[in-house]
Amino acid sequence: MGRSYIVEEAVEGYLTKQCEQKAGPVTGLLIGQSSTQREFVVTATRTPQREEPLAAGDSPDKQWVTEHARQVSRMLPGGLSVLGVFIVTDIDAKDSLATLRKLVFAVENLISSERLWNPADDDVTDCVALHVNPKTRKTFCRTFDIKDPKQSVAKPADWKYQSGVCSSWSTVSCSLSVDMLVPLPDDRTDLEDMDKCLKEGLKVWAHQLESAVCLIDGRKLSEDMELVGGQKRNVRQTYTAQLLITPDERRATDVVQRCGGSVSVRGAIHSRAYLHSNKPKAKLAEKLLKRDAVSTVATRAQMLLEELLTSDGESKGSGRDRPQRGTHNELFCLPHRIFCPVKASGPVCVCDYHFSDEGLSVVTDRLKEMLDIDAAEKDLDTRQETPAEVLEGEAAAEPTVETIEALEPKRNRYIGVAMATVVAFLATAASMLYLNDV
Amino acid sequence: MVVADSQSSDTGTILRVRGPLEFKCHLDSTDARLMHKVISRTFETLQSQVKSESCVLTVCDSPVIIWPNRGVYAIPEEITPNTLCEDIHQWIQSDEQEAAGKRSAKKKSKKSSAASVINLRLMMEATKTGRPLSAPILSRTVHKSHFLSTTFPVDCVVRTTVNETIKDAFERLLEALTHQLCEMEKVTLQHIKGTTLLVPQPLHFLLPEPKGLVTVVYPAGVPDSQLETQRKELHQQFELPDDWPYFRRANAYHFPNEPYKDGYLRNPHLGLTHPTLDNGKVYLVQGFYSYHHYMQDHVDDNGWGCAYRSLQTICSWFQQQGFVERAVPTHREIQQALLDVGDKQASFVGSRQWIGSIEVQVVLNQLLGVTSKIMFVSQGSELASKGRELANHFLTDGTPIMIGGGVLAHTILGVAWSETSGQIRYLILDPHYTGAEDSQVITDKGWCGWKGPDFWDQIAYYNLCLPQRPKVI
Repeated sequence: MGRSYIVEEAVEGYLTKQCEQKAGPVTGLLIGQSSTQREFVVTATRTPQREEPLAAGDSPDKQWVTEHARQVSRMLPGGLSVLGVFIVTDIDAKDSLATLRKLVFAVENLISSERLWNPADDDVTDCVALHVNPKTRKTFCRTFDIKDPKQSVAKPADWKYQSGVCSSWSTVSCSLSVDMLVPLPDDRTDLEDMDKCLKEGLKVWAHQLESAVCLIDGRKLSEDMELVGGQKRNVRQTYTAQLLITPDERRATDVVQRCGGSVSVRGAIHSRAYLHSNKPKAKLAEKLLKRDAVSTVATRAQMLLEELLTSDGESKGSGRDRPQRGTHNELFCLPHRIFCPVKASGPVCVCDYHFSDEGLSVVTDRLKEMLDIDAAEKDLDTRQETPAEVLEGEAAAEPTVETIEALEPKRNRYIGVAMATVVAFLATAASMLYLNDV
Repeated sequence: MVVADSQSSDTGTILRVRGPLEFKCHLDSTDARLMHKVISRTFETLQSQVKSESCVLTVCDSPVIIWPNRGVYAIPEEITPNTLCEDIHQWIQSDEQEAAGKRSAKKKSKKSSAASVINLRLMMEATKTGRPLSAPILSRTVHKSHFLSTTFPVDCVVRTTVNETIKDAFERLLEALTHQLCEMEKVTLQHIKGTTLLVPQPLHFLLPEPKGLVTVVYPAGVPDSQLETQRKELHQQFELPDDWPYFRRANAYHFPNEPYKDGYLRNPHLGLTHPTLDNGKVYLVQGFYSYHHYMQDHVDDNGWGCAYRSLQTICSWFQQQGFVERAVPTHREIQQALLDVGDKQASFVGSRQWIGSIEVQVVLNQLLGVTSKIMFVSQGSELASKGRELANHFLTDGTPIMIGGGVLAHTILGVAWSETSGQIRYLILDPHYTGAEDSQVITDKGWCGWKGPDFWDQIAYYNLCLPQRPKVI
C-alpha cells in the first residue's frame, strides 16, 4: 500500500507554470508535512536559476539542487519540511526515476546531516519523487524509503489535489530563552573550533529540550491526547506552549578545565510549529516545536559563522593565521526571525532571518529566490522577535570585555556565494555525502 | 539514650525538592580573590534564578506543577494557594494506580510510622510570555584561562505542619532553597584549592525530636575523617552529646519508600510489636543494621555460616552509623582476618569451619578496630538472669550482640526486662533463614522476633560478644 499525498491546489498551478519553461529540465522541492497516514504538500518551489541555465539535454546539477534544499530547509518553521523533489522534463518518467532517486537521497542526506536532534521512531521516512510531463501535464508520483538506501525501490504513491489543505492547521508557538555558555579548547580558538564547540553546546541544549516538560495552553496534556476536540473547518487554532527544563546531572570529576576562551549565546527566540488538522496529538505538537527551537538557534549560529568565514576569507589571504594572542571579546548579533505567509494557504508561514542593518528587501529578495514567493515588505511579520540589543550592562556576564561592539559582518545572502562558502566550510563529511553517488 | 524511631502523630508532610542547578563560569584568572568574586557572582545568578518567576517545582509522579514565585500559582486549576499540603497526596500516582488524576481514597500503609514525603523536582521555565524579547547575541571571548562547569545537587527539605497551606509551605521552601545556595557558596569557597573545586553536597540528618530533620552541606570527596571540626560545630550548634556520630555521612536520613541500593533489609525488627511485661521496659539496638543470613550473596553457607552472618550484621551496624567506611566483609575476608592475626591455620581460609564469639571479637578488632566484651554463661538457663547486663549494653552501646552456644549462633537486637518480676524476653535476629528479603515473611515466621528464655538450650554453655561503640562523633 503506497503513500498518499494530499496536495494544495495552488501547487498544481505552480507545476503547470514550470511546464511552460522553454529550456532544460526544471527541478524543485516539495514542501509540507508528513503524518503516519498521509502526507500534505503545502507548496512547491523551483530550483533557482544558475548563471548558465541548463540546456535541454542536461541533467540537473545535484550540488545545486541539494544546496537549494539546505537553504530552503532553514526557512521552514516546525512542522514543515522538504518532502521530496519534483522534476519537469520530457524525458520518460521511468528513465528520469534514477535521476530523481539520486536527488531525493542527496537532498535528504544533506538536510539530515545538519540536524542536531535525533530522529524519532515514529518519524515517516518516505520521500517523494514527482515527475511531471510538460506536454501532457501528467504526474507520476513515487516514494523512496530513505532509511534504507541500498534496498529502497520506488513505490507508487497517490497524488491528489485539494483546496485549502492547510487552511485549518493549528499553530503552536512559544518564546524561548537561550542561555548557553561553552568553553573553547585551550589552543584552538578560531572559527572552526567555535563552530564545533557551539554544535556540542547545542546538542546538550537539544537534549535538555527533548526531556523538557511541555505545557500547552497552560496544561500538561498526556501524549496521546488530541490537541483539539471537535474542530471546526476553517477555524484557526493557535496554542501557546511552555517548556520546563532541568539540566542533565553531571558527575564529572574534572569540574574545572583549562580553556582558550568561551562562547555564549544569550537571548530569546520565537519558536513555532504547524500541525495538520487531522486530529493531531499533543505528542506531535511537542516534538515539532522542540525541533524547531533547536533548528532556529542552530541555523542562526550557522549563518553567522558562514558570514564570518566569508568576510574573514575576503579580508585576509588565508584567514587562518589570525593572531590569537591576548584577550579579546567580540559580540555578534544573531539575526532575528521574520515570518511570511505562504499565499492562500491559511495560517502557514515560512521564515527567514534578518540582520538589523539590512533592509527588508533582502528578505523579500531571498523569499523570491529560494521559495519563489512574491512578497511585499508589508506582508512580512516582523513582530515575533525584536533585533538584538547590546546594552552597557549586558556584557557584564564576561568580566573582562575589551570591545563592546556588535559586529555585523558584510554579507552576501545569495545562493551562489553561499555555495562557495559551503563547499569551503563543510570540508569533510557533508561534501562527501552529496558528492558520492548513492 | 535511645534514638526515637517513631514520629509524633501530628507531623505534617515533608516536602523535599531536588534538582540539579547548572553552575558554569569563566575563570579568567587563577588569582584566588578574583576567582572568589566570579564564583560568588555565579551564585548570585543562581539565587536570582531560584527567586525568579521562571522557577518551577513539579510534584513527582503527578500532574501538579507550582510556580512558587508567581503567587504560588499551580496547575491543575483545582489547586490554589490555599490548598492544604497534605491534599497534594491525592494527585500523586503510586505504581498500583492506572488512571491519571485524583485518587478517591488514600491508602495508608499499616507499617509506616514515618512522616509521608512529597518529592518535588526543581525546574526552570525556559519560555517567557509577554512582549517579544530580543534575539540572541553571540559573545566570543578569547582568553587562555579556566572554565568551570558542573551541576550542584540541590536537595531541600521542609517539614510542614498539619493544615499548612501550600502558599505558606512553599514560601518556606523557597527560603530553604536560597539558604541552601548560601551554604553551598560558603562550602565551595572554603574548599577551593588552586583550580580544584569541590561540589557542595547537601545531606539530611534526623536529630532527636524536636529538632527533626536538619540539612548540612558537605564538600563532596572530603572524607568524614577530615570534617571533624565541622561536626563538632554542628554538635555544639544543636546541643547534641558527643558520643553519637549524628552527622557522619553514613547516618544521613534515609527517606521512606526509597529502596536501598544494596538490596538488604534494614531494621526488620521495627515492624514488630514489643512485649509488655509487668514493670518491664524494652531496650533495643540503636541506629541501623542490615539483616545478613544464610544463602545471601550467592554463598551457600547453610549449616555452617550462622556466626559469620551474625558478624556481618554487626559489621553493617558499624558501617551504617558511619564508624567505619569498610564494606561488610565476606566469609573469605573474615577467615583471612583470622589467619592474619595467627588465630587460624592457612587451611582455614576457604573452609566451612564454624566460628564462635571469640573469633567474632577478634575479627571486629582486626578489620574494624572495634573492641568487644565477652560474656560467658555456663548454662543457657542462666541467660534469664542477665537482663540487667543486656539492658545496660543496649543503653550505653546499642550495638547488636552475637551469641553462640550449643550448635547455633544468633544475633540479639534487644531485651525486654522487668526489674521487679525478672521476666525477660529477647529480640532475636536469626541468621539461619534461607529465603528472600521479604520482611513480611521474616517477621511473621519469627526469623526476627521476640523469644522467651526457653529459646536457649538450657544446659549448653553460651558465649556472647558485646561490641563496644566508640564514643566519637
